[in-house]
Amino acid sequence: MAAPCRHVGHYIQRNSGFLRINVDQLFAGRSFSLIAALRQQAAEVPKESKEAIVIPRKKSWNREAVLEALASTVHRDPTAYPYQFQDDSYLSPRTSAEFKLFSLSQESGRAAAKYFVNNNPKFFTKDFAEPHIPCLMPESVALRLEEVSEAALRERISLRKVSAAVEMYDQLLQSGTPVSMETTHEMLDLICVYCDRDPVQEGAPILEDGEGGDDTKRRKVRGRRGTDLKFSWKENNNAERIFQQLPERDSRCYSALIRGMVKHGVFSKAFNMYTELLNHRLTADVHVFNALISAAPDVREKFSERWDLITELLNQMSQQKVRPNLLTFNSVLKALRRCGFLAKSLAPQTLNEMKALGIAPSLATYDHVLAVFYKSASSGPNNTDILQDILTELEGTRFTCQDPDDVFFFSSAMRICLDSKDLELGYKVHQLVEVGENWRLLGDSYQQSIYYGRFFNLLCMMEHVDVVLRWYARIIPSLYYPNPQGMRDLLQALDTDSRLDLLPAIWKDIKTLGHDNKVDLVGELLSLMARDEHSAEVQESFAQCALDVKSAFDGRSSMEWTTPSLSHITTLMLRANKLQQAWEMLQLFKAQNRVPSEALMNSFLSACQSSGAPHRAVELVQLSAAFCLPATPGLAKRALAELELTEEQRSILSEFEAAAEEEQ
Amino acid sequence: MYRILSRAVCTARNHHLCVYECYVLPVKYDDVLRAFTGANTLSTCIIRQCEKKDVSDQNETTTKDVKPEVEAKANDGGETQQQGDGKVEQVLSKPSQVKSDGAKSGKEGLLDLLGAMKVEVTNKRKLKNLKTKQSFETSAQYKSKPAAMESTISMFQKATVQASAKSDALDPDIVAAASAAAATLPNQSQAESELLKQLRQRKALTEAQKKGDINNLGDLIADMKVGKKPARQNAWPADQIRFDDDGQGYTHDRGITGELANIRKRRNVFPTKRLNIFSPTTDQQGGESALAKPTLWDMDFANELSLSANQMPRNGFEEMIQWTKEGKLWQYPINNEIGLEDEASVPFHEHVFLEKHLEEGFPRQGPVRHFMELVVAGLSRNPYLTVQQKKEHISWFRDYFHQKKDVLSEADVDLS
Repeated sequence: MAAPCRHVGHYIQRNSGFLRINVDQLFAGRSFSLIAALRQQAAEVPKESKEAIVIPRKKSWNREAVLEALASTVHRDPTAYPYQFQDDSYLSPRTSAEFKLFSLSQESGRAAAKYFVNNNPKFFTKDFAEPHIPCLMPESVALRLEEVSEAALRERISLRKVSAAVEMYDQLLQSGTPVSMETTHEMLDLICVYCDRDPVQEGAPILEDGEGGDDTKRRKVRGRRGTDLKFSWKENNNAERIFQQLPERDSRCYSALIRGMVKHGVFSKAFNMYTELLNHRLTADVHVFNALISAAPDVREKFSERWDLITELLNQMSQQKVRPNLLTFNSVLKALRRCGFLAKSLAPQTLNEMKALGIAPSLATYDHVLAVFYKSASSGPNNTDILQDILTELEGTRFTCQDPDDVFFFSSAMRICLDSKDLELGYKVHQLVEVGENWRLLGDSYQQSIYYGRFFNLLCMMEHVDVVLRWYARIIPSLYYPNPQGMRDLLQALDTDSRLDLLPAIWKDIKTLGHDNKVDLVGELLSLMARDEHSAEVQESFAQCALDVKSAFDGRSSMEWTTPSLSHITTLMLRANKLQQAWEMLQLFKAQNRVPSEALMNSFLSACQSSGAPHRAVELVQLSAAFCLPATPGLAKRALAELELTEEQRSILSEFEAAAEEEQ
Repeated sequence: MYRILSRAVCTARNHHLCVYECYVLPVKYDDVLRAFTGANTLSTCIIRQCEKKDVSDQNETTTKDVKPEVEAKANDGGETQQQGDGKVEQVLSKPSQVKSDGAKSGKEGLLDLLGAMKVEVTNKRKLKNLKTKQSFETSAQYKSKPAAMESTISMFQKATVQASAKSDALDPDIVAAASAAAATLPNQSQAESELLKQLRQRKALTEAQKKGDINNLGDLIADMKVGKKPARQNAWPADQIRFDDDGQGYTHDRGITGELANIRKRRNVFPTKRLNIFSPTTDQQGGESALAKPTLWDMDFANELSLSANQMPRNGFEEMIQWTKEGKLWQYPINNEIGLEDEASVPFHEHVFLEKHLEEGFPRQGPVRHFMELVVAGLSRNPYLTVQQKKEHISWFRDYFHQKKDVLSEADVDLS
């Protein structure tokens, strides 16, 4: 104990001048921490001199480094619209339909501009940019070389003009000019990729090319993906014809044909072609195997046969010393999804094989594994070990898109969380989404809305309402536009945690999201508001909200009033002591040919009594009689007993009472 | 001056310490006080005394009888002399104040706890058949940590994070004070961690005892059970309550046992068995294919990939990155060699050592040589010209002097 005392004494002595300043503040903690800092400095000096000097390696930056650093400082603002819409405040989407419409129109506008520029290069000759920026200048899309030569053929190939290239190739053959092997390869690639059709030029208007309206419709349906999946591979098309005419065929020619056939759905033909390739003692490349493996489930019926074919192909790969890649194993796993009971044992083995070869799995790999283990139809509490395992393994990893199927992982993982009602796992999945740029792998807006829909559903089901609302503020509407079902889930969550006082705010959001025309949703909202009695302030806000709902109904002819919603609004008006509005609502019953319930009439009468409106009570009984309600005499009796009425009113009421008695 | 300083130190230390000491160890309290008056300058010593009672006992003997004037020796020289009477009173006034603080905070804590429980009762019932256990755990944990949006069930996985967060759980003032005090000791980091550990244990104990009081009021909360946390370190934060909606008892921690189960299961889920078709040899074929020209298939695949992932920029900078990649935007300078791409392959010495270009076509000595050396020296310092331009510059002079050969020879300058 003495030693530290001495130390401090020394310091106080030595630094007394320095300390005097701090003493005034009577803030001892501070002056002591200063001493601590001084002490640290003193301790560091001798240490540094001993260490060897290490010259840091030169760090090379890519040219986006500064921008990337700047971009990493900007965080997502949950209150803002997505960035692509910020230019034009008029075009700010509020619903998912608007989002789709606006983003598609933005893209199509760009494509149209590009199409116009490329097809009219004569108007865009001036080059403003210094230094020259090639991508701002019109691309040459028209053919320049007219004569019959291999160069002209290459030009047609690079411009992806399939039919022109085929024509040129035939002309070259007729004139006896030999075509080099490389050009032939490219030629075959071109025909096989586009299935012997001219690809739709980017941004070009879709023309009716003799196929009739049916084809156009189909093209619209398929959207931007799978550019030519709908075209079928025709028997003896140009690719096959040119292939048969070739004097010698190497493995690349076979490769092009096989890949084209698999891509365009003629699987058995692809396998025949592969047999032919083997007969010619040629070896296939990894892409051919990938294509064939993905086609394997289509050429065999039984699960075991399918797997046998895949193993055979893999063994042949191994024999031919072809190194498999990520896509090979992804296709194996994808094929395994269609191998039924075999998959559960074989999928982990495939995954292990991958790891043994040092191939890092992508998200698509895990997606296939998940699909093998969790069938969508399964019910009951699922065993989520696999997903748990995968997530533990992937925690904190940043992904890039390596396989087109990568984008399905997150939504299917979230589906499993939702099915098994595992909130913890759901948070883990979402945590993974938030790492780095992983959100990009949520896919297009449709996939993204599926993912967030499931996540939000899970939250509403399992989470406490305060947390649900925090997520609600965070993801809606900047990331997700909930559908009516999503809003309903939220209403239920509010109900279970008795936070119904928030309903008016939710109604505003429902209106913004454009769901105020969904009768079921609005009906549910009203029934929740009308179910219990609340404090006066809450009732007042509910009444305002109900009036708003009423105006939403009034504006639309498509929305039909239902008896429950009418009576709910009336009840809400009565509870907020808005007798006049409640009376208007009763009039609406008549206009809509609906009949109010006895309980509603009774509560209306009570409201009349408490607010002292006898004439209204009389009118009510008259109205009730007009509806021919059996409760009319009862109402009349109550009114006579409980209200202070004039003689005239009494006579009217007793008439009703008497009328009923006479009937009896 | 020293007196003022030391008093300030004492009061500051004292206050924090007393809060924790007084109603955990009321018996010790007097000792602590005496230790204060005795040591008088050093909170460090006091904290130590709390740990080692024998030390404080020693102090006790020395300071017991010195009431009006306390003479304390903080260091060997005995420089620090001071009046202690005012101080002693001041310090003695602490206990009552602190005691009331303690009682008050206990009451407040109870109210807080009750408030929290009330909210808990309204928890969801609809799912209790399915996953009661989990949902309750989750919601309970959210309640206690509303700031964190993510699930805290995995708390135990993040034991390391928690450990670092633990020191935050203590009052930052205390932590600062402890570190300051520790700074005066020879083994600083160890001392600091010891101090903080001690403080933490005290706080945990305090919390536990607070809970104990609440348990006495069990009739208020008849159908609930209060999860009393044992005062061990890794049970932090201690103010969490877990209960079962059905009143069956505690919900069991999924924590560590759950983790262990997971680890055990993992071995079973993906057995090490593999297909054994390929041999894990690394051959050079991969490199070969990378060098080959991308075919149309590759481009098609890349296009498909880019379409499947969401490529929308999220902010202006990301859009600029996109434009830079497309070549539409002037690229942001990342070093001072921007715009000098042609020169990137030219080494530094080519720019600086230009004398070798004087070997041919210039005299070895004389005024021309002298002039050219000056030219070269100037060029070597010019960062704006490329090496090619520098060479051209020199060769221009070479030609020039050759053209003027006659004039020079007339002037009796040797060109040789």
